[in-house]
Amino acid sequence: MERRSESLTAMAGGPAQSQARSLHRGDGWRTLALGILCALMIAPLIMAVIISLKSPSQFTRVPFMPTWPLRWENYEFAVQIISQFLLNSIITSGATVIGVLLLSSLAAYSFAQIPFPGRTLVFYAVLALMMVPASLTLVPSFVLIRDLRLINTHWSLILPWIAGGQIIGILILRAFFESLPGEMFDACRIDGASDWQIYWHVALPLTRSMLGVVAVLNILGTWNNLIWPTLTLPERKMWPLTPGLYSYMEQYYTSYGRVMAGLLLGSIPLVILFIFTSRLFVEGLTSGAIKT
Amino acid sequence: MVVPTLAFLLIFQYYPAVSGLYRSMFDWNAGLAGNFIGLSNFVELFTDDDVFIRSLKNMALLTIWYLIAFVGLSTGVAVLIHRIRRERSKYFFRLFMILPVIIPAVVLILLWKFIYDSTIGPLNAILIGVGLQDWTHAWLAEPRIAIYAVMFRNFPWIDGVSVLILLAGLQAIPVEIIESGLLDGASGWRRLRYIELPLITGQIKLLIVLTIMWGVQEYSAVWAMTQGGPIDSTQVPGMWMYFNAFRISRMGYASAIGVVMFLITLVATILNMRYIRSQEY
Repeated sequence: MERRSESLTAMAGGPAQSQARSLHRGDGWRTLALGILCALMIAPLIMAVIISLKSPSQFTRVPFMPTWPLRWENYEFAVQIISQFLLNSIITSGATVIGVLLLSSLAAYSFAQIPFPGRTLVFYAVLALMMVPASLTLVPSFVLIRDLRLINTHWSLILPWIAGGQIIGILILRAFFESLPGEMFDACRIDGASDWQIYWHVALPLTRSMLGVVAVLNILGTWNNLIWPTLTLPERKMWPLTPGLYSYMEQYYTSYGRVMAGLLLGSIPLVILFIFTSRLFVEGLTSGAIKT
Repeated sequence: MVVPTLAFLLIFQYYPAVSGLYRSMFDWNAGLAGNFIGLSNFVELFTDDDVFIRSLKNMALLTIWYLIAFVGLSTGVAVLIHRIRRERSKYFFRLFMILPVIIPAVVLILLWKFIYDSTIGPLNAILIGVGLQDWTHAWLAEPRIAIYAVMFRNFPWIDGVSVLILLAGLQAIPVEIIESGLLDGASGWRRLRYIELPLITGQIKLLIVLTIMWGVQEYSAVWAMTQGGPIDSTQVPGMWMYFNAFRISRMGYASAIGVVMFLITLVATILNMRYIRSQEY
């Protein structure tokens, strides 16, 4: 009885004092449980930081506790190797994200605001591709890329990634464009604006934050792609970061300090992206577009 | 204005998809035209390919585990975070859930490969440290254990994306519903069971679909940790497809594996859409 009424006053915004008391009641064990989970989540990373600052002999003596002097040169070594992979990642993921934003916003605008024959049918044909898994297309895509003579070029990543990445983009952006009042676009047309002008000067500026969401989701997807680049790019120096880190670990497996330094350095770019776009990250992962 | 999109989709999505279905009926090697052999590839898969059958078992095992670990555990964590009343801790934990998303997946996989290392890995070091020498293993090298090592990687298995999606669902439940529930005496466990969970079935359903699709298809962890070995004990269909296509050049056969994976995801998705109903308020 008492518990119930207390939480009710808390919710209804009762007297400040009882509110403060009841507000935090029960937080103790929940905070503890979540805290332990978070600590376990971060433990491998802490291990990586500790090991990344060790020379091989330091690792042999004391593997999992910090040792001095700290060997920062592991990072210098890793930078030299990782930077080429990172550059490749920026080129491929960057070009992909630009292509995806352009194409998916154009298509989404047409699907939402320009009536053309067969519009719904075409839209469902695009949606149906959501159901086609990468496993079905892996082998034929590879053969296609080979026949187009794109093997060992970054286009072998960029073009298929644009094609695949725009589907979710179209979905999210179409929902947004449909929520905009159609009268606004009609008014522009009456004033003599072409569809291209409306798209570029009216629709795109209005959708800036949604474009950000699409961009973030797209970058996360391409950045983590491990296997496809190893197929289409025979030369390691062309590889983006994710397969690059894998090959780096294979190559230097016994220099544990250098391996860990490389893995940590390789994690930094996404962290930086996250710092600048944290709001879009959370929005992108929780937005209404990703709901049945 | 949809022309560029359609052009890209035709070349890089529709064409490979159709070609995959078509080529699955060929005895097709790289560079050769190939012979049409009807459904022989599929017959061989299910009657004469022990590795494929084992890979299906492993896939089922992993997918069930991913459902428990990702969907189950994430729901628990999302509810825990949702119930925390102090805004600042709530915000902190929510932010923390992003961590596994922004650390590249390959980094976590490789860190766990190191953790499982038989001679220098910390897992064995911890076991020895607490006096359980007998429990130490070459985790990724023993055929009977390797699949479980792949399965239990990324302990404690929290999936930040799922937690955030579920949390958004929980936060969207109108306060009035919870309040009237409280008035009717539904607090704690009953509030969860009869009010909150039914109202986030939409999100849970979505996560189940995504997890099944992912569980059926995902093989980058296996690829990076074991390449399907030792003695095919961690083989999954995706890895087996990769092996057939790119190691021994049986591309038609690999396409057939791709088609089977596609059909499994399709059936699972349809069943899920049909039999789990979501509630609206």
